[in-house]
Amino acid sequence: MAGTARLAGLFAVIVLVAAASPAPALARSSGLDEQVRAIASRLRCPVCQNESVADSPSELAAQMRALIRTKLEEGESTETIVAYFISRYGEWILLDPPRQGLGWVLWSAPAVILVVGLAAAVRFIRRRVRPASTEAGAREDWDG
Amino acid sequence: MISILGSTAIAAAAVSSLAGLIFLLRGRGRGDQRLIDRGHRAVIALFVAVTAAVVALEVALIGVDFSVRYVAANINRATPLLFRIIGLWGALEGSILLWAWVLAGYAALVAVRYRGRHQETVPLALAVLLGITSFFLLLMLGPANPFGRLSPAPPDGRGLNPLLANHPLMAVHPPFLYLGYVGFAVPYAFAVAALLSRTLRDEWMTVTRRWTVAAWSFLGVGIILGAWWSYEVLGWGGYWAWDPVENAAFMPWLVATAFLHSVMVQERRQLLRLWNHALIIVTFLLTIFGTFLTRSGILGSVHDFTQSLIGPLFLIFIGAVLVFSVGVLLLRRDEVRDTGSLPAYVSRESLFLLNNVVLLAIAATIFVGTTFPLLAEAVAGVKLTVGPPFFNRLTVPLAMALLVLMATATLLPWGPAPRGALRRFVGPGLLSAALVAVLSVAGVRGLTLGALAVIIFAAAAQLAEFHRGARAMGRAEGRPYPLALVALFSANRRRYAGYLAHLGLALVLAGVAASSAYRTESDHTVSRGEAFSVPGYLLRYDGAALSRHPDKLVVAAAVSILPPTALEAVPSRPAAAVPALATLYPSERLYPQQRTPIPTPAVRSTWRGDLYLVLLAVGPDGAVVLKVITNPLVPWIWTGGLLMALAGLISIWPGRRG
Repeated sequence: MAGTARLAGLFAVIVLVAAASPAPALARSSGLDEQVRAIASRLRCPVCQNESVADSPSELAAQMRALIRTKLEEGESTETIVAYFISRYGEWILLDPPRQGLGWVLWSAPAVILVVGLAAAVRFIRRRVRPASTEAGAREDWDG
Repeated sequence: MISILGSTAIAAAAVSSLAGLIFLLRGRGRGDQRLIDRGHRAVIALFVAVTAAVVALEVALIGVDFSVRYVAANINRATPLLFRIIGLWGALEGSILLWAWVLAGYAALVAVRYRGRHQETVPLALAVLLGITSFFLLLMLGPANPFGRLSPAPPDGRGLNPLLANHPLMAVHPPFLYLGYVGFAVPYAFAVAALLSRTLRDEWMTVTRRWTVAAWSFLGVGIILGAWWSYEVLGWGGYWAWDPVENAAFMPWLVATAFLHSVMVQERRQLLRLWNHALIIVTFLLTIFGTFLTRSGILGSVHDFTQSLIGPLFLIFIGAVLVFSVGVLLLRRDEVRDTGSLPAYVSRESLFLLNNVVLLAIAATIFVGTTFPLLAEAVAGVKLTVGPPFFNRLTVPLAMALLVLMATATLLPWGPAPRGALRRFVGPGLLSAALVAVLSVAGVRGLTLGALAVIIFAAAAQLAEFHRGARAMGRAEGRPYPLALVALFSANRRRYAGYLAHLGLALVLAGVAASSAYRTESDHTVSRGEAFSVPGYLLRYDGAALSRHPDKLVVAAAVSILPPTALEAVPSRPAAAVPALATLYPSERLYPQQRTPIPTPAVRSTWRGDLYLVLLAVGPDGAVVLKVITNPLVPWIWTGGLLMALAGLISIWPGRRG
């Protein structure tokens, strides 16, 4: 039993060092929690593959969440905090790419594709419709 | 020893593949049936040889033969047997071998099944399949050799990536994914063969319909199991992150879904012939592209990717397949004629066209979002991230549009809508209005309510079709309703399996909508015996325990679920005295091959949703930090996804009428 306890203690130290998530206080405003989460979910965890700062279990993400919290408590605005992270990591840190410059290409491409596709489909339908036809293909309960 | 056997098997496979290619093409060119038969036998030999290579690698993995570099790099002596076996797809070289094996298996099935039939197309289709297999064999003879040797052999290996060794779903997710991915090679091969041989009618499509649906179903299972694995293992309480690896599997599935619908227009109206060829070609290209994305290392960094030959070889192969396919398509463009016509502007046929537009728009959006960071970095040197917000904002409205089309197309018949067709909308409309009213009273608001309304209507439309058919059949044949429902299904399996798949989709999207909107998450620092509450649950932390396993150390916290009102009834009652309804054990696992422990969540599912616990930290005094997530309707996603795939398999299961 004692051996297990010692092992558990050892392991606990490792866990603590690794996770290093500062133990959150039990009583705190959930509004602040949500603000932290809202900002953290806009930022990419710099050391992970495709995880947001809000979702990542990594040490760095935990530190970034703590930093966001501190800055919020000091009264900084959401945009100032986001701008701070951009200044440190570049626009790469944003999960949502900015809607300017190259970003415009990205954001408009799907709309362009959809419009072109719809136009093509409508054109196809208009060219192909021959309303009088009631060929054999129109059986209702056809089964391939 | 095993290395030599394995390498020999791969060399033999390459020889069979090339010899088969020559036999088939020559035999077909000269009309020499004996050569073609020899080609068929070469395909079987290819399959036998690749199987031998797989067996050799498995023997090395199971027998922990560290003189094989792949074995030393991916497992160690502590790796349990199951994870030694699945080490086959734990890393690049083994995955390529699995790809080749599945492809050789499909080719062998085609060779056996169509021996002596479809003489115009089968030899060409087999030749195309052999061409693709040759590429993967070439990879293994060169830069992705699974049998590379280490001398001297190290005493122990590095071990599997702990994330892969952490859950048995890893044993089934990749094989299904590969069965799906690779399965699209068969309809692709037949489509190209049909174009080349000028058998330009609809034969290739009917021949390959079962293959296409099977591949679509397997890929669906693979995607769903992948999402499930990520939910059970990664510990962030989510199942889909729009990760490039996920997108790579999702894109071909979307395009294949478009194909499965537009093929019906071709079968009925002799339209969209060129389009359907193009769709199956795009589907296949996307599967190769997906393999490239996930296997070339390009995702880590654009610069990493040039360090190995694999990425560039893949790009050349994709380019070659693209040029070849588009070339063949353009060559026969004028001969692949649409001969039919559409009977009306508003009909199921027209809606299927719009369905194609929306499905392809979703696929294209994902493609742009996935490749944009790579292109921006490669071309402009700009590092950008395209994350979940982009994908969610653009695909959710498209998914809603798709559901509206799905409901409408289900309710409208083929051809010109008869008078009174609108009446079919009344039943599902009323049913969903009632349910939406209930949801609204329950407090569901805004966009979530809108999305759920669309989802419910789409599901109701499917149920209405089952009901309408069963009632008509019951009346016509005087059968009781449940028997009529069964008879309806078995008499018209393809159609009603389709509606079943639609129902599955509605379940998936309901789960996604509810869990995105009503997920709660909170962190709790608790000491032993302490009770705490989260929305819908009263929990108690009962202490942590350490256990040693051959491959890992596990610290698990016991967290009991108490009756939600247990403490309100008798406020003075100590929390520790309340009997638990159930106990969950979220844990931290420490693998020797990894410096940091891996939090492994514990999940309790009911039909209403999940309680999801993650152990974040254990303090020396026995206090723990727990992340508690409540996630409504998540099990609906797995159920719906598997229902869709099952529906696909039901529709192609051999039967009286097939």
